[in-house]
Amino acid sequence: MEKNKSEIVIELTKIAKRYDDEAGIYDALKEVELKVKAGEFLAVMGPSGSGKSTLMNIIGLLDRPTAGDFMLDGVDTNTLSDKDLAKLRRDRIGFIFQNFNLLPRLSIMQNVELPLVYEKIKTSERKRRVREVLSEVGLLDKIDSKPNRVSGGQVQRAAIARALINKPSLILADEPTGNLDTKTGIEIMELLKKLNSSGVTIILVTHNPELSHYASRVVEVRDGLLTEKEVKK
Amino acid sequence: MIWQNIKNAFLSIRSAKLRSALTAVGVVIGVFAVLVMVGVGDGVKADIEGQISNLGTNVLTITSGKLTQSASSSDPKQQKGSGINLASGIGASTLTEADVKTIATTPNVTSSAAFGIISSSVTKDQAVNNSAFVIATTPSYFDIRKLKTSQGSFFTDSDNNKEEFVAVIGADTKQSLFGSEDPIGRPILLRGKQFVVSGVIEKSDAGVSLGANPDDIVIIPINSAIKLTGKNDVFRVIAEVDSEKNVEKVKASLEQSIRSNHSGSDDFSVLTQKELLTTFNSILDILTTFVAAIAAISLLVGGIGIMNIMLVTVSERTKEIGIRKAMGATFGNIMGQFLTESIIISLIGGVIGVLASYLAGLVIANFANITPVYSPIALMSALGASLLIGVVFGTAPAIKAARKHPIQALKSL
Repeated sequence: MEKNKSEIVIELTKIAKRYDDEAGIYDALKEVELKVKAGEFLAVMGPSGSGKSTLMNIIGLLDRPTAGDFMLDGVDTNTLSDKDLAKLRRDRIGFIFQNFNLLPRLSIMQNVELPLVYEKIKTSERKRRVREVLSEVGLLDKIDSKPNRVSGGQVQRAAIARALINKPSLILADEPTGNLDTKTGIEIMELLKKLNSSGVTIILVTHNPELSHYASRVVEVRDGLLTEKEVKK
Repeated sequence: MIWQNIKNAFLSIRSAKLRSALTAVGVVIGVFAVLVMVGVGDGVKADIEGQISNLGTNVLTITSGKLTQSASSSDPKQQKGSGINLASGIGASTLTEADVKTIATTPNVTSSAAFGIISSSVTKDQAVNNSAFVIATTPSYFDIRKLKTSQGSFFTDSDNNKEEFVAVIGADTKQSLFGSEDPIGRPILLRGKQFVVSGVIEKSDAGVSLGANPDDIVIIPINSAIKLTGKNDVFRVIAEVDSEKNVEKVKASLEQSIRSNHSGSDDFSVLTQKELLTTFNSILDILTTFVAAIAAISLLVGGIGIMNIMLVTVSERTKEIGIRKAMGATFGNIMGQFLTESIIISLIGGVIGVLASYLAGLVIANFANITPVYSPIALMSALGASLLIGVVFGTAPAIKAARKHPIQALKSL
């Protein structure tokens, strides 16, 4: 996880995304350029409909750009099959969603170990690593609980643990505090900040300017274009 | 991964118990129907096998019509047609009194009995029995068939020679005409003529019989029958051979001499008990297969039920598919998960179907006098079929699930 600080994790070159459906042609992203270095805490700001979710989906390998190049850890993602992309999501990217997206039927343990299951890691090793990340986010005592038995903040902690389980190159957090009260939201942001200072690269997508204080660098997406706003430190 | 899929499948089945149960019921009914049909068919087969081998392996049956492809047939015309011509066994008999004499005088034949079927209802006062099989034969029939009396006695050669109007009746015939009364010495009417009951045949232990009920029978002397009807139709002749090892030899010699009686025409069959068995079995197999095929349609309907519910499940769990894909699940992972689920539902149905048919077998054995036989092959095929149903009807929904685009799946509610 401890990467060379100058190492570039993400490199987007002239990324464009065009939606072409019954509603007509719509350019969500137009020639976006972005480099993210290892260890950065990048906040992607922008109003809803600006294209920041589209950008997040492309960086998360959940969607492919219409044009442009996306290098993840030096790998050109355009050349990869859907199966390869799935493996990259599993091994290199941790997702944190606004609405947590834990599977309600599974326990916290089973939710957190999911990426390891797809990696075919043995049960004993999965247990060990789940306990490790759960203690990191302070949720070890809820390991066997179902998501609907714990509070919203605890569910998001479980989701963060799930995002961390595979020691990813970056964590993508999409409005992680959007469904939490202010106090819990601050706790979650502090946790992310702590993880970042231990070396985890984080991309935070939000429309809330207050959250950008936690970031080391802020960019803004507006009308499909990306502009640098602020670099701290 | 497989183990994980199985665990997930049970989690999801448990979270929708009623729905999963109803889905499995389709397969339960299908497996149950096929197994019971095949089981009853096999049970009847085993029963008839028992009956025929009870008659003794040294008995030959000579019947009108060509029932088997005789290996000894030298007529090239006969060798062209293969299989069984059932129709040739029906209709006016081709066997004659000359054949009966030939059979009786063939070396190594210790005893023989020709018999004809008289079409007549049997009445006694107000009681009418339309189901009884009326057979006209000689007393040696009783010996060859190994029949015993429970009351009275069989008629004798002297009764036959004197054309006495006497009758021996089966246990069920006695029950239907006389109830609990003693029938010995009392008259019954055949074609309006009085026959005095001389004996009652002991109830057979046979559960089922192909065609006629062996306990609903009236046997009269053949000469009395000729007097009654004015003609002598030989339906079949049964012949007892002195030893089992001579059976094939006698069969060949009978075929030759009867063919010469019939001026070279192969319009009869000489059947060993084994051949008789094969004939019955082949008829039963056709029937069983046909009925089982109809029952298999319900299995197909069960499969469609699984497909239907799996399609619903996939749409309901689109969000889950999105989350799993974001966590790194591949097409194959998602497909495997949903396919495992449909296979497990189907297999549960199959197992319950097997258990249910086993229970039904106990019930049938108790009430219907047939003991269904479930061969290991039938049970394994039932489980195999339910596995196949799960695969075949689970594939399309599983592919649908695996094809979902991660973004659209995540956005769904």
